[in-house]
Amino acid sequence: MKKWKLGMIVAAAALSVVALAGCTAGKSSSGADDKNVTMWVHFSKEDPEGKAMVQNITAFNKENKKGYKATVQYIPRSGSGGGYEDKINAALNSNSLPDVLTLDGPNTAAYADSKIIQPLGKYITKKSDILPSIIDQGTYKGKLYAVGYSESGVGFYYNKKMFKDAGITEAELPTLDKPWTWDQFNAILKKLTEKYQGPAIDMQLSDHSEMAIYSLAPFVWSAGGNITNKAGTKAVGYFDSAATQSAFKEIQDMVKNGYTTISPKQKGFQTGKYAMLMSGSWTIQELDKQYKDISYGILPYPVSPKTKKLVSPTGSWQYAMSASTTKTAASGALIDFLSAKAQMYRTSMANTVLPARKSVSDEMMSKVTEPMRFLIKQNQESGHARPVLVKYPQVSRTFAETVTKATYYKENPDISALMKKQAQEIQQYLK
Amino acid sequence: MPNHNYKKMANTIISTILITLLALLFLFPLVWMLVSSMKPEAAIYKDIGGIKAFLPSFDIGSWGTAYRELLSRFNVFIYLLNSIFYGLSVTIGSIIVNSLAGYGFSKFRFRGRKMLFGLLLALLVIPGETIIIQKFQIVRSMGILNTPLAVIFPSLAAPFYIYMFKNFFDAISDDVIESAQLEGASMFTIYWRIMLPMAKPAIATVGTLSFIGSWNDYIWPLMVLTDSNRFPLQVAITNINNTQPVYMNQVMAILTISTIPLIIVYVFFQKYLVQGLGASGTGEK
Amino acid sequence: MRSTLSARSKQAWLYVAPALLLLTLFLFVPAALSIYYSLTDYNMLAPQAKTFIGLGNYFKLFGDPIFWKSVKNVGQFVLFVMPLQVGTALGLALIVHKQRPGNTFFKISFFAPVVVSLVVTSVLWLYILNPEQGLLNGILAQFGIKAQPFLTSPTQAMFAIIGISAWQGAGYQMLIFLAGLQNIPSDVYEAATIDGANKWERFIHITLPMLKPTSVMILTTTFIDAFKLIIQPMVMTQGGPMDSTITPVYYIYRTGFTDRSLGYASAMTMVYGLAIIIFTICQRKITGGDNNA
Repeated sequence: MKKWKLGMIVAAAALSVVALAGCTAGKSSSGADDKNVTMWVHFSKEDPEGKAMVQNITAFNKENKKGYKATVQYIPRSGSGGGYEDKINAALNSNSLPDVLTLDGPNTAAYADSKIIQPLGKYITKKSDILPSIIDQGTYKGKLYAVGYSESGVGFYYNKKMFKDAGITEAELPTLDKPWTWDQFNAILKKLTEKYQGPAIDMQLSDHSEMAIYSLAPFVWSAGGNITNKAGTKAVGYFDSAATQSAFKEIQDMVKNGYTTISPKQKGFQTGKYAMLMSGSWTIQELDKQYKDISYGILPYPVSPKTKKLVSPTGSWQYAMSASTTKTAASGALIDFLSAKAQMYRTSMANTVLPARKSVSDEMMSKVTEPMRFLIKQNQESGHARPVLVKYPQVSRTFAETVTKATYYKENPDISALMKKQAQEIQQYLK
Repeated sequence: MPNHNYKKMANTIISTILITLLALLFLFPLVWMLVSSMKPEAAIYKDIGGIKAFLPSFDIGSWGTAYRELLSRFNVFIYLLNSIFYGLSVTIGSIIVNSLAGYGFSKFRFRGRKMLFGLLLALLVIPGETIIIQKFQIVRSMGILNTPLAVIFPSLAAPFYIYMFKNFFDAISDDVIESAQLEGASMFTIYWRIMLPMAKPAIATVGTLSFIGSWNDYIWPLMVLTDSNRFPLQVAITNINNTQPVYMNQVMAILTISTIPLIIVYVFFQKYLVQGLGASGTGEK
Repeated sequence: MRSTLSARSKQAWLYVAPALLLLTLFLFVPAALSIYYSLTDYNMLAPQAKTFIGLGNYFKLFGDPIFWKSVKNVGQFVLFVMPLQVGTALGLALIVHKQRPGNTFFKISFFAPVVVSLVVTSVLWLYILNPEQGLLNGILAQFGIKAQPFLTSPTQAMFAIIGISAWQGAGYQMLIFLAGLQNIPSDVYEAATIDGANKWERFIHITLPMLKPTSVMILTTTFIDAFKLIIQPMVMTQGGPMDSTITPVYYIYRTGFTDRSLGYASAMTMVYGLAIIIFTICQRKITGGDNNA
């Protein structure tokens, strides 16, 4: 009796699917007018960063004289880019990338090598004003593929009261001109560890993600070591060099001596359990907003006693132009506009991040707090870009694994043997 | 025998206490989440070592602070509505599609049935995480990108739910069908009027599980949707939890907002289930 | 009888068609595409540049120590988590099936880990298991047991994940067991009680046999899900320390998405998928599930 009813349901379901399958996406972004550009960004419209972007885009659409019009799609990322990057991957595999996109610094080489993005050097004005670390980060095989629109930095936070109670005087504190050597640093850590009967510093060693290479590679660079050679073709002879080994030895000894720990208490510095914390600029906001009773300062990276060279981490997200876009003039104009001084200033201030242009730094200096000023200065004086490698994710992961292995000092007491093995591991990811 | 009664009562009390303790072992994250959403972030980490971690602060006026900050940051309401819409669509669709298939596999004998069902079980082994790009290519070629259909369609049919419904229908004797057929009922009427009402436990279970699955999905909606007005709540959660600096009290606040509907759905389905059983236990079986 | 059954058979397709169509589109075809991709050097960033490399990925897999390590890890996981999680689930279901005061509260409690976000549970467990300040070491100290490293130890990390997974997942299977229990007609019990069967006898001779289809289903799906373990190691240990908690699906995901080698990831999916199917068939033979499917 009611057989027809079921038949209808099934037929309707089947038909709708078939019909939908038949009409392939009619949304062709290319074609008609090449003045409308679309852009994907990895943050939400509701973040401070997103709000600044909305203002910047409004300004672009109003101020540019060629009649270009930009539309932005806000795609919030998870963790270290997941979600957003999955979406980029999916778009790539179905040929539906936007004209302009954002990408994290370490992705430059892979994206450029796979011809996802195209060189954009000729569209960018006032390049000499951009920080060298930002240019390095966006350059692959001698061509500029991406422009970083902000910088980042890491410093050594210290608890003023805990330092004072441990008998460490102001005069003993390091400055950018006279940073601690690892030996001096260890002596201070020893003092703190003995005074507080526990680890002195949270080195974020429980974070096995990108944070490892980002924050700890400066130890390697300070020692004069490296992860690969300059061309990015050899790790053997570089990652296992005596200089690189000395950096990993330092990290291992910090754990071995109990100065730091592989399993830090959560927010231990913020709640006054650790005297020091190695962390990025974002911790400033957190401390100022949520942990007002902690009086803190930021110290520079400790340096290798051999070279005494100050090196600090850099790098952040950047703008790039997809290789598939035909609207190069409009896309180039948009990227140039967004990475120009006024827009960059707005973004950096809204998001409390380090700026990527010298002129913007100068303008920000008088308007930010002392810890922020310190990080901006450290960044300008000692910033070192991460290596630009096609298989960066694998290299970054191997670096993090090497750190983990070094910190398990009982299992891996012989740093030299460990580094030889890990260098070979990295080698297989280089071409 | 009063002695016997005392013993029974003591037994009940002891077992209830033990079960309550057991329940607390499972419940503590929920309590911690709720309590932490009503504290300043610093207090969360200061309290974490002891019993205070599970008690709200004394300052009642500050309980809503994290929620206020959260609402000023995000338009949580739209995300919530989207999530509810996707969740309900997936739940209803999944109950219909999977129960139909379960009925087909259980009460019909057709060529290739065993093989097809075996194949279906084999599909269970495919880890969803590994075929997401391929799935995206299909959805794109269907032309439903950036529509709610792209979120809903792929989550409707599930081998496991078909399996569950088949199991339930298998337990219902064929006599029921035959006697209904003698009275002139069609197979669809039997499904709709007899089978489905008898499968209430399965409906409640599949409903609860598919709602939760849809509610917690993050990567897929983000992948197929570009218009941020269509994003589900998970996208906002992930964003709040990953944009430095992360404020734990706000994270806990949005997680509380996102968990409450799940609890409501669960309680609702469970209640409905018990009532339904009361009816079926007396007569229909 | 036979004739009515065969008369129904043609209609059958109408009922299974919607599900089959959707499954074909969103599960079967993507999986079939994986077979093709597994024979290429598909790099996610350069989809057009892929070339056919025959069985190259498959040969590579057999010499990949991390893949085999991950298989070993997941084997350990399955072996321990199955009895723990399914046993817990059945216990919980029996508890909440009996009508007693506060039943709804218990039902919510046991199910809570399933609905509460992983963010919450992982923060809490990381705290509880923290070797230096964690609650668990505090409790162990009361019994004179020295502090354990848990998730930071290559030998203990997987056991910690087994415990957490069972705690987190048991509520899910409890729900299914509960549905199965509620499907047992109460008159069967009444008859048995009249015949003088005690609680234990009723459990062994009525509950368990009547629960068999449900149990087989739960064993099968828990078994398969256990092989697909990814979230807990991904969130809590990132596969470490020293690859001691890396699982095949996590490794496949990492190879495909982080390393962008979709070709190799597809080959691993194929081999691993096939292995799970074979294991599952064996498992069903052992538990006697084949009579029911």
